[in-house]
Amino acid sequence: MKRQFFGIATPKLKYDVIEDVQPEPVSVQPKQRVTLFIEKAYDRADKALIKKGDAVARGQRLQLFAEDPAAYAICPVPGVISEISPFIGMMEKQMTAVVIDTESDREDDRDTAFKEVSGTPSIEDAARFLGRVPGKPDFTQFTDADRMVKTIAVLGADQDLQTITGQYIIKTGISSVKTGIDILRKITGVQNIVLVVAQYQVQVAGTAAAGVRSVDAYYPSAHPEMIIRHLLAEQAEQGQIGFLTAEAVAGIGEAYNTGELPLEKRITVVKKDGTRQLVTAPVGTHAADILDAVNEQVENGDRLIMGGPMTGDAVYSLEHPVEPDTDAIIVQDKEMIVAGTDTPCTNCGECVRICPANIPVNELVRLLDAGEYEKAAEQAALFSCIECGLCAYACESRIPIFQFIRLAKHAVKRMRAAEEANA
Amino acid sequence: MPNAMKLTVSHAPFLHDGSEVSTKQYNIIAATLIAVIAGLLQYGIPALGVLTLSVGSAMAWELLMNLLTRRPVSIGDGNAALIGLLFAMLLPAVVPWWLVVTGTFVAVVIGKQIYGGIGGNPFNPVVVAYAILMISWPMFLDFNAALVDYQFDFTAGSPLVLYKAYGTAGLESFSLGGLLLGQQAGGIGATFGLGLIIGGIYLILRGFIRWEIAVSFLAGIFITALCFNLYNPEVYAGPGFHLLTGFTLIGAFFLATEDSSSPVHFIPMLVYGLLGGFLTVMIRNLGAHIDGVIYAILIINLVNPIIDKIRPKAMKRVMHHA
Repeated sequence: MKRQFFGIATPKLKYDVIEDVQPEPVSVQPKQRVTLFIEKAYDRADKALIKKGDAVARGQRLQLFAEDPAAYAICPVPGVISEISPFIGMMEKQMTAVVIDTESDREDDRDTAFKEVSGTPSIEDAARFLGRVPGKPDFTQFTDADRMVKTIAVLGADQDLQTITGQYIIKTGISSVKTGIDILRKITGVQNIVLVVAQYQVQVAGTAAAGVRSVDAYYPSAHPEMIIRHLLAEQAEQGQIGFLTAEAVAGIGEAYNTGELPLEKRITVVKKDGTRQLVTAPVGTHAADILDAVNEQVENGDRLIMGGPMTGDAVYSLEHPVEPDTDAIIVQDKEMIVAGTDTPCTNCGECVRICPANIPVNELVRLLDAGEYEKAAEQAALFSCIECGLCAYACESRIPIFQFIRLAKHAVKRMRAAEEANA
Repeated sequence: MPNAMKLTVSHAPFLHDGSEVSTKQYNIIAATLIAVIAGLLQYGIPALGVLTLSVGSAMAWELLMNLLTRRPVSIGDGNAALIGLLFAMLLPAVVPWWLVVTGTFVAVVIGKQIYGGIGGNPFNPVVVAYAILMISWPMFLDFNAALVDYQFDFTAGSPLVLYKAYGTAGLESFSLGGLLLGQQAGGIGATFGLGLIIGGIYLILRGFIRWEIAVSFLAGIFITALCFNLYNPEVYAGPGFHLLTGFTLIGAFFLATEDSSSPVHFIPMLVYGLLGGFLTVMIRNLGAHIDGVIYAILIINLVNPIIDKIRPKAMKRVMHHA
């Protein structure tokens, strides 16, 4: 990933490609406990529907508050809730962490609520039960009254570098994807579904009874915004394209096929030495359990990344769980970490040339540095950013540009929301 | 949770291409060396004195300003050294010591540090310094006067001075090959054209300078000089002469390409370079000054923020985001 010796052309980052003979994924089970995140602030403990000490079954739906059916998690293992606490994620995202102590003697304790409704697929049930299957399908895009989704793009190409999770699903689970696509057509009414895959997987994807589009091998061509721009431009009217990952679609297919919620997340683990290992683990499994299973030692000062190397989140604890959309877990040795600096922008223009969204990043970063967020949004295309991270990758001054941008977007959104609330 | 493990937490992306400000500065310094060594061979010890004093004083000014403004010490990034080096390359081999120190003061302090250091300067610091010195003490920067004690095996008069005084009639003793190989009186590191071209091509291939600027600057000179030459070859010298004399090559590869004061978008880079080349020849052919490169670069630095607004539209986003 280093700069080439010859630097006349803009550098290109290539997506990883799955090996022809991919070893079977290592199956990991949580050792003692799992942690689930519910995307809702835990602000009224007394009103919560789940409590510490509750026994929960595999596949059970854990809804936090009665009035908000969208805030839930699916319990991946039988056990007992041992802790419910507020958790603050990236950009002040208010969440609730539910810790469940596993009880292996209740191995067969499976919740059947979904099975009862799985005979007649509907969008309501899908949103109610399948929103947290691995791949994390967002069903609100089909129920949102403002949006008329006319095309669904199923993302079979991996979004981030070093990750092969999506390709693995296409390679080994195309029949589930096909089932999922059929069910999606039924429950959403959207007939036009395209499967977006890496070029070399076009053939296998062709069996999924959907239109197939391919993306090229260079980051960030598999990013939804780039797919809209390059592949689906003719249908790119406001919000008319919905996105689901191939894993989510395969999960929907499996769920309706078997009547049981899929709970096992496929994860690409990238070790310090750069080698890769596919793992399956229930959503909620702690990173520590997974790293143990693949014999990876993490030491003080190393970096643990949930997600891909360009867009993932570095976490501060090995107890951090796998979430439904965690496609990769990456461990970086402390020697490999390139620290950010406070060197100002030298206007070298690498970011401008590498930016896939044509943002004048050199201007943007000056405005952001000065705290002129509103101006950045108006004059320097702040909201055109697709958050690919390439600017910060190429920055000679090693400015954390991506972080600046996310912070600024967050601040502007908050300001605008406050203005609207006061208006 | 009781956890003794301290992981490094930072924001994405977690990959970096490894580029650094200092790498670029040191590479540019390395790229000047062929021309600098050729200059040292030609002008000897006095040139070495000017070079070392210039580099040393530039770094000293930088350090002093770091301490005064209580900012991190930045002489390690090589930028101050590069400023000193480029400044010395423009100077005649024989100049008073105080002129060198004043020049680097103007370059580092007035040209760069008062704008907040690297990346903040609207003008190329070296060019600012040279321009101010050219106005303040023109007699010391007159190559013919400064180099009067040297015995050359080629025409000792500075080609641009002769050109200004006598038109093309003054240039009969110069051959393009000789000019390319540095057979002309001029700045310490600005006369050995071949070395500057090799250094410039090295920097372009490595991606340390933007080829668009260097190439369009030279193209601007070539086209403008050619027009003049075709209009009246008796009076106006051909493009080859303009390309190989004065500060043209050092300007195209090392001065106009300075990051902070030059555009980053494609079309603006071409406009910037072409305008620089055009102005250089206009000043040389029609203006009062002998060499137009310094003023031309100052002017294109000045218009850089405006022309850099010519840029592709940012991608329009059409997606709802939850």
